[in-house]
Amino acid sequence: MKDSATQKSKFTGSGIPVKEVYTPEDIKDLNYNNDLGMPGKGPFTRGIYSNMYRGKHWTIRQFSGFSTPEETNKRYQYKYENGETGFSISVDSVTENGFDPDDPRAEDEVGQSGVSVCSLEDMETLFEGLPIDKVSTAVITSQWTSPALAAMYFVMAEKQGVSLKQVNGTSQNDPYVFTLCCNLIDCVTPPHLLKLSVDLIEWCAQEVPNWHPVSFASYNYRENGVNAYQELGMLFSNAVGYIEEELSRNRLEIDDFAPVISFHLAAHNDFFEEIAKFRAARRMWYKLMKERYGAKDPRSLAFRFHVQTSGSTNIYQQILNNSVRIAYQVLAAGLGGAQSLHATSYDEPLCLPTDQSILLSLRTQQIAQYETNITNVVDPLGGSYFVEWLTNEVEKKSWEYFDKIEERGGLVSVWESGWIHKEAANAMEERQREIESGEKQVVGMNCFEMETEPYEVPVFRPNPESTNIQADKVRQLRQKRDNKRVEVCLENLRQVSLANDNVMPALMEAVRAYATLGEIQDVWRGIYPKWKMPIQY
Amino acid sequence: MENADPVLEPRIRGQREDMKRKSRVLMAKPGIDGHWRGAKIVSTALRDAGFEVIFAGNMSPEAIAKTAVQEDVDFVGLSILAAGHMRIIRRVLDALREEKASDMIVTVGGTIPQPDIPELKEMGVSEVFPPGSKIDKIVDFFKNSVTGDSQAA
Repeated sequence: MKDSATQKSKFTGSGIPVKEVYTPEDIKDLNYNNDLGMPGKGPFTRGIYSNMYRGKHWTIRQFSGFSTPEETNKRYQYKYENGETGFSISVDSVTENGFDPDDPRAEDEVGQSGVSVCSLEDMETLFEGLPIDKVSTAVITSQWTSPALAAMYFVMAEKQGVSLKQVNGTSQNDPYVFTLCCNLIDCVTPPHLLKLSVDLIEWCAQEVPNWHPVSFASYNYRENGVNAYQELGMLFSNAVGYIEEELSRNRLEIDDFAPVISFHLAAHNDFFEEIAKFRAARRMWYKLMKERYGAKDPRSLAFRFHVQTSGSTNIYQQILNNSVRIAYQVLAAGLGGAQSLHATSYDEPLCLPTDQSILLSLRTQQIAQYETNITNVVDPLGGSYFVEWLTNEVEKKSWEYFDKIEERGGLVSVWESGWIHKEAANAMEERQREIESGEKQVVGMNCFEMETEPYEVPVFRPNPESTNIQADKVRQLRQKRDNKRVEVCLENLRQVSLANDNVMPALMEAVRAYATLGEIQDVWRGIYPKWKMPIQY
Repeated sequence: MENADPVLEPRIRGQREDMKRKSRVLMAKPGIDGHWRGAKIVSTALRDAGFEVIFAGNMSPEAIAKTAVQEDVDFVGLSILAAGHMRIIRRVLDALREEKASDMIVTVGGTIPQPDIPELKEMGVSEVFPPGSKIDKIVDFFKNSVTGDSQAA
């Protein structure tokens, strides 16, 4: 194995060559006002608020869900009691695919990779007794099911007395998480997925002012293997794809909806490169909004983002080491100016997190916020010769990758042609090669290996009865609801969709009538063409 | 072979090797969880090592067994990234028995907790590759398992 300390050339995690030391010469063209600016002022390189964490710490938002809504509700209570400041719903593969738990395809998987949510009833159970008027929620699911799950959350909130004007949170609603990074087995073509996504954004921008109806989730693209600048290139190309779709409808101006757009980035292993990436992303979004779209509202120009520490950097071998990786990534997110943060749990290469491992993730964030003093000073690395040079470098390479996608026609073109899938496949193979060759060193995997595992950790097991419990519940729901009303609502949803109107008002009515997720998605399966992910194996 | 042409002979031998049937692998994700990175990486590595890999993507356990028989594969590789693996793998093994194909070598890759590995092996899984398994080791396992006329190139 090569010893990295003796290698002559050094590179960032994304392969950008780096020198031994940086000097004023490396950033001689940097103009403070134009390229950095004060925090809270354009181009927001240093942060989107003038006082950043002195005003408000980043939100501690741990993504979680398993088994039934009843069981996940208990986990949410536990995290809230221990100082979590934002909720985030992780749903199971059945929900992501838009199936009901009694669908034969759902067998064995209900509640196994997240919580099962297939109706307003499940959403009500999931948030029973939780202070959603005080704490915001991220509803994380596929783009395909984002409109329906958002509608379930909104109606649940209304029933708890939190109006559409007050309800606060985020829908993931990203185009690639489930059509590039993961596969869905029975969904519709990209242009129709885009239509549904943008309907949610358009409607929320007018009706649900404190909701972020999209959170472009380059975290997931990164987890599939792409590097830091490919992450940003794809991120902004996807945002442009959605914006162009909305503008082409001639219903809203850029400043009517850009303020509700949000982002979800990865914090990977290369500490300084990740900080540079967060800083570059703010400057890129500012330029994109101002120069390409002529946005004027400062809220349109500010890049708001959630960070998740990179699950794919966590490994099975010497598993407790992952908590150290996670802590460094938390620090990078904090120094990079994130608005909210999920710290993964050390046991995730094995299972969904246990109560103990999730507590450690919470405490990791709280120790960073309350003990390290990194929250005292805004953008403390601003002005560092190296960090400023690297911010420029990541930005330059990200624009190059963004242009590469735009030259191929942008979001929908590369999505339908499979070009982007090929890019992801190449990247994942390259990452693997780097590890296999020892070029990238991973402690415990290709260096400092041990014959026998030194740590024994508990394994979390979701409730194996989840399928039966949830399937019974949905069957009972279909017995007790007003089925005539459901039928009318679903037919109305179909008509509205065929007329190419915004689906959200009809969707809200269907959800209010307790139409199930499977029934709702079937409306669209019935009228739009089906799509299969173009992976070249 | 005393008079064998030192240049030609290896080539002829190579051709003979080519004429032999390549070992075949069905790589599938049982159920509907869509994380495909692991299955893709292993498929590519096995293909590079000379195996013929049929990538099935997501399939029900019963469809996996039927496809494995139709394609006459030597190996069934199952990739899993969700809990619930014990039940779904048992269903694949049962379906293979049903199709009278229990001689096929079944491997599992993915987020499998250590304590589950002995039980999976007892159920009939030949090998389990948890996250962080080295690709070389995975390929070696497949190569070493090849017997009779089936030879990886």
